[in-house]
Amino acid sequence: MSDPLPTRELARLQSLQIKLGQILVKSKLNDAFRSDLERLFAAIENNVSKLENLHDAGFALQSLEDAQLRHDIRNAIGITRGYAELIRESDTEEIPTATLSNLLDKVILWSNRSLSLLENGKRKKNGAHSATTNAIDSGSSHQISTSQYEGNILILDDEPANRDLLQRYIEQLGLTTFACANANEAFDVLKHEDIDLILLDLIMPQMSGHEVLAKLKESQLWRAIPVVVISGLGDQNEVIKCIEAGAEDYLQKPFNRTLLQARLRAGLDRKRWVDTERHLSNELEKSQRFIKNTFGRYLSNEIVANLLDNPDGLNMGGSLQTVTILMADIRKFTTISEQLPPEKVVKILNNYLGTMADLIMEFGGTVDEFIGDAILAMFGAPVTGPDDADNAIRCALTMQASMKDVNQRNKELGLPEIEMGIGINTGEVVAGNIGSVKRAKYGVVGHAVNLTSRIEDQTRPGEILISANTLNQSNLRLQTGRTIQLQPKGVSETITVTQVLSESDHPIVENITEDSTTDYRAGGEQ
Amino acid sequence: MTDILLVEDNELNRDMLTRRLNRKGFEVRTAGDGQQALDEIASKRPDLVLLDMDLPILNGWETSAAIRANESLADLPVIALTAHAMTGDKQKALDAGCNDYATKPVDFPDLLEKINHLLGNA
Repeated sequence: MSDPLPTRELARLQSLQIKLGQILVKSKLNDAFRSDLERLFAAIENNVSKLENLHDAGFALQSLEDAQLRHDIRNAIGITRGYAELIRESDTEEIPTATLSNLLDKVILWSNRSLSLLENGKRKKNGAHSATTNAIDSGSSHQISTSQYEGNILILDDEPANRDLLQRYIEQLGLTTFACANANEAFDVLKHEDIDLILLDLIMPQMSGHEVLAKLKESQLWRAIPVVVISGLGDQNEVIKCIEAGAEDYLQKPFNRTLLQARLRAGLDRKRWVDTERHLSNELEKSQRFIKNTFGRYLSNEIVANLLDNPDGLNMGGSLQTVTILMADIRKFTTISEQLPPEKVVKILNNYLGTMADLIMEFGGTVDEFIGDAILAMFGAPVTGPDDADNAIRCALTMQASMKDVNQRNKELGLPEIEMGIGINTGEVVAGNIGSVKRAKYGVVGHAVNLTSRIEDQTRPGEILISANTLNQSNLRLQTGRTIQLQPKGVSETITVTQVLSESDHPIVENITEDSTTDYRAGGEQ
Repeated sequence: MTDILLVEDNELNRDMLTRRLNRKGFEVRTAGDGQQALDEIASKRPDLVLLDMDLPILNGWETSAAIRANESLADLPVIALTAHAMTGDKQKALDAGCNDYATKPVDFPDLLEKINHLLGNA
């Protein structure tokens, strides 16, 4: 029967992984160093999953016999150790914190221990027929097997006799002990060792047990370590106070061995569950990071936050909704690109697309797709808002204005200047995750998208054309220019598109002039 | 710069060893199997080969034998990377023409020493 709890090695490694993850998230690191740490993270992750598989199959490191499995796990541990050593070898000033340095030491220590467990476990098995091993085996058959009792126990008691007694009891159970006479020693041990349980004497000079407990529970790192309070007969009130302050349990002097064993077992089980739970929450954090990394490049923060709150939003399927679609492209780009070497084409595109994508996100839009030099963006999906059309128009105006900067950069790089046309349309589309489970993308499909593309085709360099639908949805006061009638393929009626020049600074409807430039109060008043 | 060819099929291991060797000032080329290794050697002779024995397509023993079968490569230093504690692997590696061997997981300082020794840098 396999133990339903994760093995000690697994739980340890998971907790190291979590700590490393926290460092990666919180610390400012230079790119090269971060990349090393990410590699270590990936190696540990791979190592964790190998151990989980072993564990699920009911194997423990010390009893693993299958040569292939041994080879795999040895390799995984070796890689984990290799990356940790690699980072450890970096210049000391590069390792930014003592926490990280300490963590690396622990990873290396973990690897070495696990490797020796893997090798020594085998050796023991191989030697099982020798007389000495048999003798030890039969001699220990009445004891509870050590695999049920593994862990580092910190004993904090100022009385030497008590400490020794506890230490002997506990080590007989196969556990490792760290005995400390005062709080300073204890905190020193806590900083350097992975402690699974603390036995805490209440009455001590300097810092009392109650104060130690308070300090432990204040610490993010140590709060999860179970504390069993050791009390004399008359300390009932203190015990209650300690339990209220977060102690797991208490133990009365003189010690009863069975009770001690039971308390230790309960505490260690709890610790392992806490480690597992931390691991799970780490997994959750990882999946959230995945969402951010996958979509963060193209989606506005709002939409990413929406997805994070509601990961079901990632399910396949779509919904019919009204969105405002913006399409932009570089006019005559094909001609430009034919005359330039590929790397210059890519430079122009990156300069241009990067600027535009940032602006689109700034205005709450989502970049649906880059198609060569064309950008397809939407406003109003996944979340429809009253200002979608306004945002799209304002975004388009800002995009055109920013072409000056784009071209300035192009000029500096010795690249040709470019001009952009933008078409905007509003209509019903199917919005949702389109694609297969492995490669899905939030996007929109529908007639309104195709129509936007037709509108955009009509733009002159530097122009913004918007459909009547968008104009009606907008509450902006706009300076408009030419109006044209379009008869797109496959559409029976003609549609009217209007050139937008700028947002009017004038607050109210003004005299409509005969000029081609009209001050237009858009939309029906609400 | 010293040019080391690292032949290793495990991607993480390959990356890790490459990074570590780079830090020590070696230039590292990599190959994922024995055939790729022979192709790399044919295109440009490296100064030293680190050869994992447990490779797909053409395993380490075969690869080493193929290297030694080529007269012009007779003196190319090859260090075998063998699975740990496999008795007999050491002799097998030497028999297949490797100059030295290191057990996996690799003890890096030990490996460096072997590399430098074979390159005459010791």
